[in-house]
Amino acid sequence: MAPTTSDQVSPDLIWEIVRGNNSFLVKRKQAGGVQFSRDPLNLTNKDSRKYAGFVNPKAIGVAPAEKGGVKIISKKESAYQKPAKAITETTFHGGKATKKIYKAVANQTAKNGYRPDLREAAVSRVSAIRRSQKEPKPTPEKKPRGAQAKKAAETS
Amino acid sequence: MASRPTVTIIGKDGTPSGATHTIPTVFSSPIRPDIVQQVHTGMAKNKRQPYAVSEKAGHQTSAESWGTGRAVARIPRVSGGGTHRAGQAAFGNMCRSGRMFAPTKIWRKWHIKINQGQKRFATASALAASAVAPLLFARGHQISSVPEVPLVVDSAAFEGGAAAKTANALAILNAVGAKADVEKAKKSKKLRAGKGKLRGRRHRQRRGPLVVYDPEVDGKELVKGFRNLPGVETSDVYALNLLQLAPGGHLGRFIVWTSAAFKALDKIYGTTTQPSELKKDFLLPSNLVAQADLSRLINSSEIQSVLRAPKGGSLTKRAAVQKNPLRNKQVMLRFNPYHSTFVKSQLGEQKKEAGKPPKTPEGFLNILREA
Repeated sequence: MAPTTSDQVSPDLIWEIVRGNNSFLVKRKQAGGVQFSRDPLNLTNKDSRKYAGFVNPKAIGVAPAEKGGVKIISKKESAYQKPAKAITETTFHGGKATKKIYKAVANQTAKNGYRPDLREAAVSRVSAIRRSQKEPKPTPEKKPRGAQAKKAAETS
Repeated sequence: MASRPTVTIIGKDGTPSGATHTIPTVFSSPIRPDIVQQVHTGMAKNKRQPYAVSEKAGHQTSAESWGTGRAVARIPRVSGGGTHRAGQAAFGNMCRSGRMFAPTKIWRKWHIKINQGQKRFATASALAASAVAPLLFARGHQISSVPEVPLVVDSAAFEGGAAAKTANALAILNAVGAKADVEKAKKSKKLRAGKGKLRGRRHRQRRGPLVVYDPEVDGKELVKGFRNLPGVETSDVYALNLLQLAPGGHLGRFIVWTSAAFKALDKIYGTTTQPSELKKDFLLPSNLVAQADLSRLINSSEIQSVLRAPKGGSLTKRAAVQKNPLRNKQVMLRFNPYHSTFVKSQLGEQKKEAGKPPKTPEGFLNILREA
């Protein structure tokens, strides 16, 4: 772990302190009391120890960028106590092939033992963002049915 | 701890001044949210003013019960006639214009005594938590542009009433990266929901940074500079208050230290072995374990060097991916060594022999029939 002010503060301890209540946590009574996270460094938006980016010294975040691009933010382990220096940003422009972005993101997440456990989540978040940036297909025109169809057949 | 970690002292313009200071021992106190919360609830009650309903409320009538036999409840009833009030029930908490149930009294136990040891423990714990960046994020402080946590600003920036004017004080906060948090607190002012609006609690807003200063070095003018910034609070380092260090009982207040105040912490709190100079009979609480990070313990060379290699292991090696022998020739050969001959001689491609099978010889049939 990165040098903190004290050897006493491990990410596990921090998680136990903040897990019940923190500024990123969204609790809803719907659907059996779902708990989500607003943390930009959370890949699944779920409130869990594994994905809690603000607690972990190493974390990855994926967000949409301008013009169909994807922005990857990651945390520098050595800057655990230096928030201004902690975040590294990488932007992939929208023209880049999605497969190549997957590859790059997978490498950034899992290479050199950074966070191999987050690789799948990171890639699937890129995928979801890229899909959301596509223009939706126009809905096909409705075919006339029943009485309307008969009417249409008569007029033509 | 081999070498005590240090913190960079930030200059007036937000760049490191070059000077550093070792982190006072109080920052390695145990972080105990349970103690902080308990002390906070107690302390938060110590500013309450007594309130109660009037002693006479609901009893300003000469009602008497009618007794039994009149086919009405035996509750006291207002005597007399000539008005609607006569004959109505009175006094009871279930009655219209009756007194409330268990009328509130001014001699309720408003204040809570908290043991001094606990209060000091909680303060030390809250200070330790204020130096952990994730806890500041969890409290909701906007500290993404803060160069370091804990944030120590050179006392030279406050010298000679340099922060006596709010514009100058704000400029210092902006320079050291606290701008986002100040802005957030400023924009957060909202009208309170409910009756509290009428009771002197009209607005609610977030807390911004807490500026901790040493009045002997930094002077007291900076209080006037910071006091008109919404959400920003100031505190004398010799009179730190848990209600400011952990508002709402939530650990991790964003604190801006002046370097003089930061240096004074060692004197104020002492260490775990050396008693504090200013607090009588006070030693900082010590941690139960010297190293609380389990993964770091497990991966330490001391433990790894004495660990034995894992025994046994799996006896059969299984392929990680089961390959299809119908598609993969090597796998097929392992299963069926005859496969190569079968393929080479093209046995699989030979056509079925044409024509019907030969008839059974007549002689053989005759033998059968004889029997």
